[in-house]
Amino acid sequence: MSNALEVCHLTKDYGSFKLDDVSFTVPGGTIMGLIGENGAGKSTTIKCILNLIHRDGGEISVFGLDAIRDERAVKSQVGVVLDESLFHDTLNPVQVGKILSKLYPNWDGRCYGGYLRKFELPEKKTVKTFSRGMKMKLAIAAAFAARPRLLILDEATSGLDPVIRDEILDEFLNFIQDEDHAILISSHITSDLEKAADYVTYLHKGRVVLSGAKDELLDSYGKLVCSRADLERVDRSLLAGSRVGQFGCEALVKDRHAFARRYPGLTVDPATLEDIMVFTGKGDAK
Amino acid sequence: MTGLIYKDIVALRKQLSTLLLFLIVYGGFCVTGVFDFSILGALVAVFGLTIPMSSVAMDDAAHWDRYAVATPAGRRGVVAGKYVFTLLVIVVSVAVAAGLMVCLSLAGLTETTLDDLVLIALSCGVLTLVLNAIILPFLLKYGAEKARVISMITFVVIFGGAVLLGGLAKDQITLPQPPAWLLTALPVLLGLLAIGSYLISYFIAQGIYAKKEF
Repeated sequence: MSNALEVCHLTKDYGSFKLDDVSFTVPGGTIMGLIGENGAGKSTTIKCILNLIHRDGGEISVFGLDAIRDERAVKSQVGVVLDESLFHDTLNPVQVGKILSKLYPNWDGRCYGGYLRKFELPEKKTVKTFSRGMKMKLAIAAAFAARPRLLILDEATSGLDPVIRDEILDEFLNFIQDEDHAILISSHITSDLEKAADYVTYLHKGRVVLSGAKDELLDSYGKLVCSRADLERVDRSLLAGSRVGQFGCEALVKDRHAFARRYPGLTVDPATLEDIMVFTGKGDAK
Repeated sequence: MTGLIYKDIVALRKQLSTLLLFLIVYGGFCVTGVFDFSILGALVAVFGLTIPMSSVAMDDAAHWDRYAVATPAGRRGVVAGKYVFTLLVIVVSVAVAAGLMVCLSLAGLTETTLDDLVLIALSCGVLTLVLNAIILPFLLKYGAEKARVISMITFVVIFGGAVLLGGLAKDQITLPQPPAWLLTALPVLLGLLAIGSYLISYFIAQGIYAKKEF
């Protein structure tokens, strides 16, 4: 299984914010979820991959091709859905299709038409009349019709209702049935990534906090709910973060199986991606 | 790149039809004698300057460039597309204006010779090309809103200069007389100057756009 995307030591310094030494890989046939709070660097990372901004350091390759040197060849194999629909309000889906068919060498008009029907998008109505959900569906239909090998989505499911999100996630899962395909999706809706992602990279303040197989992360991390007295007797090196509330304490355990062996009297539940993000993001790791 | 040009045409279709109406109305004014036929030549400049600016304004409003740069067209394609589209607008405007003037002339509605009418349309086309050569790099760097000010300044400087020179000539102030060969070769030289400046402008715009971040 070859890598669809390799990001190595990516750096971008804005002065007030720095994307610092970000590295991760997206293997073929998988979905990589890029998670992190607002301003963590998810969009900056995606912009660097798409050469929308100039990186200060690091290497990016897509299917073994350099993202800058082989830009055209790379972009021919990448479908993009950004955080908002960027098609002109005066255009209708048919016109959007005609425009993109001249931009993408592998454009598949039949696939595009199929998605328009599947997503129930009116072909002759202008984008202006579309809801946000419809606009995102149009962008996703266009991204699929470009017949990409790698799909890059920046907060594409944010702001969509759960039914539409579920529908779109199913399409993503269909897309990666081909081992030659892969998806990089940034989102702060961790439940979506829990459903669809194979790998997760968590960005916090411009740095990679953790990156790995989602199932391994979820299997390893655990959530401890206990009293303040119990928390005080726990070895802090086993915890990734903790939160002391009025009625009890919560803590993120790094290795819940090892923890359970050491503290059999304490209950550790499986953690969610949101738990991992919240405990780490709040910066109150003790 | 062809996709980007097609996008400009489709996205501006409504505006293009309005401008066509504009042309017909002004043509009508010329027939009734309200305006001289040369006004149709001036419309070339109006079309050649407003249409590219509107297309950039629409791109700005949709944040389209962010998407276009992420497609295989890339930054170079976006710049090339805008320059070819602008050239296309000027060529079509010159052709339509010249065609209209020739038709009206053949119908015996003006005493201006055919050669002069075609020359008027071509001169306006050349001038519009030069103006766009100045404005397009600013348009692509700053967007339509900020570049509008630069466009106005350019317009005022060039036309103000022309009016000033005309005024001086009218007041019989002796201006330095260019040599005869220069006067003969002037149309060709101005044409070459316009094409050259448009090409230089294209490479400058490519350099500017390559540094732009989205």
